[in-house]
Amino acid sequence: MRKRALAFGFAALLLAGCQPADERPEIVVQRFFGECGAAYGTSTDIAAADSECGILTTLINRFAAENPDIRVKVNVVAWPGYPQLAAQIAAGDPPDLVTMHQSVIADYSGRGLIEPVEPLLAQGGIDPAGFTPAALAGVEKEGRLYAMPWDTIGRLFHINTALMAEAGLMQGGKPVLPSSPEELLAHARQFKARTGKPYLIQAQVSAPDFHVALLYTYLLARGETIFPDDRHIRLDTPEAREIVSVFRQLNAEGLTTLNQDFPAATAAFTQGRGGIFPVGTWMLGPYEAEAGRAGSALAGNYAVAPFPRLWGEEAAFVDGHAWVVPAARRSPQERAAMARFLAFLARYNYDWARTGQLPAFAEVVDTPAFRALPHRADIAALARTGRQLPGYVERQSAVQGLIGEELEAAITGAKPVETALRDAQRRVNRLYAQML
Amino acid sequence: MNAPGSSASRLSPLATVLLLIGAAIMLAPMLWTLLLSFKSNAALMADSGAALSPPWTLENYAAILQGSLTMQWLVNSLIVATGATVGVLVLSSLAGYGFARLEFPFRRTLFVVVLLGLAVPEQAVILPRHQLFAWAGLHNSYPGLILPSLTGSFGVFFMTQYFRALPKELDEAALLDGASRFTLFWKVLLPLTIPAQATLGVFTFLAAWNDYWWPLISATTSDYFTLTVGLASAQMNYAQTSGLGFLMAQAVFASIPILIVYIAFQKQIVRAMAGAAVR
Amino acid sequence: MTTAAGAWRERLAGYAFVGPFLAVYAAVLVVPLIMGLYISLNNADLFGRREWVGLANYVQAMGDPVLHQALGNTLVLALLIVPPLTAIALMLALALNRPGRLAAVLRGVFFSSLVLSVTIVTLIWRFILVPDAGLIAEGLEALGRPPIPFLSDPDLVIPAIAVTTLWWSLGFPIMLLLAGLQQVPGDIYEAAALDGASRWTVLRRITLPAIRRTLLLVVMLQTAAQLQIFGQAQLLTGGGPGGASRTIVLYIFEVSFGRWELGYATAIAELLFGMILTLTLLQYWLVTRHEEPRP
Repeated sequence: MRKRALAFGFAALLLAGCQPADERPEIVVQRFFGECGAAYGTSTDIAAADSECGILTTLINRFAAENPDIRVKVNVVAWPGYPQLAAQIAAGDPPDLVTMHQSVIADYSGRGLIEPVEPLLAQGGIDPAGFTPAALAGVEKEGRLYAMPWDTIGRLFHINTALMAEAGLMQGGKPVLPSSPEELLAHARQFKARTGKPYLIQAQVSAPDFHVALLYTYLLARGETIFPDDRHIRLDTPEAREIVSVFRQLNAEGLTTLNQDFPAATAAFTQGRGGIFPVGTWMLGPYEAEAGRAGSALAGNYAVAPFPRLWGEEAAFVDGHAWVVPAARRSPQERAAMARFLAFLARYNYDWARTGQLPAFAEVVDTPAFRALPHRADIAALARTGRQLPGYVERQSAVQGLIGEELEAAITGAKPVETALRDAQRRVNRLYAQML
Repeated sequence: MNAPGSSASRLSPLATVLLLIGAAIMLAPMLWTLLLSFKSNAALMADSGAALSPPWTLENYAAILQGSLTMQWLVNSLIVATGATVGVLVLSSLAGYGFARLEFPFRRTLFVVVLLGLAVPEQAVILPRHQLFAWAGLHNSYPGLILPSLTGSFGVFFMTQYFRALPKELDEAALLDGASRFTLFWKVLLPLTIPAQATLGVFTFLAAWNDYWWPLISATTSDYFTLTVGLASAQMNYAQTSGLGFLMAQAVFASIPILIVYIAFQKQIVRAMAGAAVR
Repeated sequence: MTTAAGAWRERLAGYAFVGPFLAVYAAVLVVPLIMGLYISLNNADLFGRREWVGLANYVQAMGDPVLHQALGNTLVLALLIVPPLTAIALMLALALNRPGRLAAVLRGVFFSSLVLSVTIVTLIWRFILVPDAGLIAEGLEALGRPPIPFLSDPDLVIPAIAVTTLWWSLGFPIMLLLAGLQQVPGDIYEAAALDGASRWTVLRRITLPAIRRTLLLVVMLQTAAQLQIFGQAQLLTGGGPGGASRTIVLYIFEVSFGRWELGYATAIAELLFGMILTLTLLQYWLVTRHEEPRP
């Protein structure tokens, strides 16, 4: 009798000890931007956080803390994370929310590998009308929205104002930038003559995206159609030749640094070895920090501006980060959790903009807090003038690699400009012809 | 008495000097990596020559060790690399003895089929293998990470050669005494292959430890990352400019276990040399 | 000794010993290889879409100028690496094949570069080779000469990758050769010493023939490995400039993960397999055709 009681008691204890399975919905969030657990651990202080990694980590920590009824699993992957994502989708086990560059969205949306997000946005109370024009353009493909935009990444002229002053190219405390290709060459020659240093610092080795960004920006500024449809590119045009020739001329006359890859160019600008470094908004934070360091060549001499209008109208070729949702079956609870996560992110877009990228939500761009951030007033226009390639353009990264390779040959003088552009056009068209 | 096969003569002074210069060329870049790992990221962004002068700091190593998953990645790498090493040594030794000493139909053909594996580039199989493992549910698991390493033909080839070189008299003696083939293998011949096992073991461990692409696409949840994949994920995408110290500290950190393994096996090789004089 | 039952038992034992390896080999290498062959006959993307095209991918590969360039680059790289690597490794193995503290320490030193992953090796060598404040550039500047753009001059990128790879890869051949040297029975050397043979004669007539098979193994393995160079090309030069340092495997990677053309990428990989196989078999045949057949 006692034994049985004991047995029953034991069993009851065991059953009671069995935790009910964790019923909370789980969302798997996959991102790049690095890992900074050492500095930010479980911190939820978003305002005090710095750098892309820090801000995003604290954001997600805060979300998890404020929503204890949701299990958040974070997967940090090496930039850009696409081999893994492709492998995960191929294996049938993708994450729930993934950071993705807007230029890559078309590849996945066109094949139905990611789902349209209008339902989730609606559930989270996010109104797409609140996106900036550049951000909206980045996530809209064939009339549907395939991601929640997170920021806009633009290209900027990062300027060493001390050297510009020495070259006589400052006026009223602001750098004087050219407004035509002839002026560009004139300024560059003047800069070199007066300071002995190259006008431009450029990454031309292993960095195809730099040349391509310049070409795309000025073709878009001139209203040119680069991709007439989803299977063709038009590069063998007089306008393109003109643009490339100007930069080839800069190389030929030694008005830019040569033989530098991205780390070398970044270091060169930091050390004041040239006037202007055309690179992106992502360097705003690090350079601003460097400019604040006493004894730096940039201390007090750092300014930024969008690419100058040399042809056509004001335009900038932009990209951006966005959150996409790989296609998969999910329960209503999971979807609700994902909607809450997106809404949460949207609310803190200003904090994300402290990284140097431009906000994706128009109202943030206009706030005094944003404008007060260093240099933002100078570049806020990018949120408006930023242009992306048409929504049907796929394999942008591979195309950039091809075009960049040919442009590099043209600009360094290894190939004639016409031949390079023609080869680029042929190779890209061939790539598209192979596509399923 | 010198160990079999080692040179009895002394090195000429010229040879010694050349050796030392060569050693310096080998070591200098790694010492430099070590120095860089002790500088803060900010200092190096301003000037990469700063590595040669104080102040030095341990902050990069602290950042690695305090990373929320670093220890998990280290454990994963240890499990995978050790599993691969043990697996390869076992499978290759068994197969090596079989090919070297036993007669069975298609032995030659099978050996050639195994050798062909040496020529197969990883790219020809990695994506189909990914598909196969997805179907078998092997992703994000230790077996999934270890199995590809076990197909290395080199191990089998290497052990076959080694077994072939062992004198047949040992076989005959043991079999005459009534030992089973397995006992012959296990008790008599295997101990004589310790130098080969050590060499093969070290290289298998190394290859598994530094493997990047397969773990990248097979273990996609961060708690199954191996150390190489995990450390890569921890970097910002322009780590070469603004995260150089951290990057170098990661390199040093990831190398330490292998150096330990090498030093441990080195002793084995030397000991085996001195003692295993088989005439 | 060999009775019928004994022979049967030996056969069974044979299969039992080689069976485990062969099972894993078949399942995890051969099956994917055959799957890959099938995929190469299709227009395929990474996500399961397949469209039968027969040999079209192979035809395309034959006519692809980028692939031709990559093929040339890869062959030149292999030629620049394998002979010097073997020679240097042999010299080092001979020199380090002796007892003593110094030899042990030096063996460790020459092995140590292998320990690093390709990411770090290319990072280190970038710092050495880059014309902007790189180690070599600083040295040249001290001598009053302009820096040399190793990583952006189309004629210099392949030698640059070759030197990086040489520095990185020494450890493995040295180890193999050491293992081979230590299998040579010492009494052969004693006999030669008694005969008063010179060091050079010993090397040529005794040592080299004795480690012939090990040397062959080293050459075959290194050929297979260097024909597959990927990380150094991707990380040091991005395959540039203008594809001057693009290797076959880098191209396969670009086509599969960059363009999602799995069918074409696999076809190129199969062609690479064929090439490696042919070259290594050729090496094997050239060296062993004069030997007596092995039992």
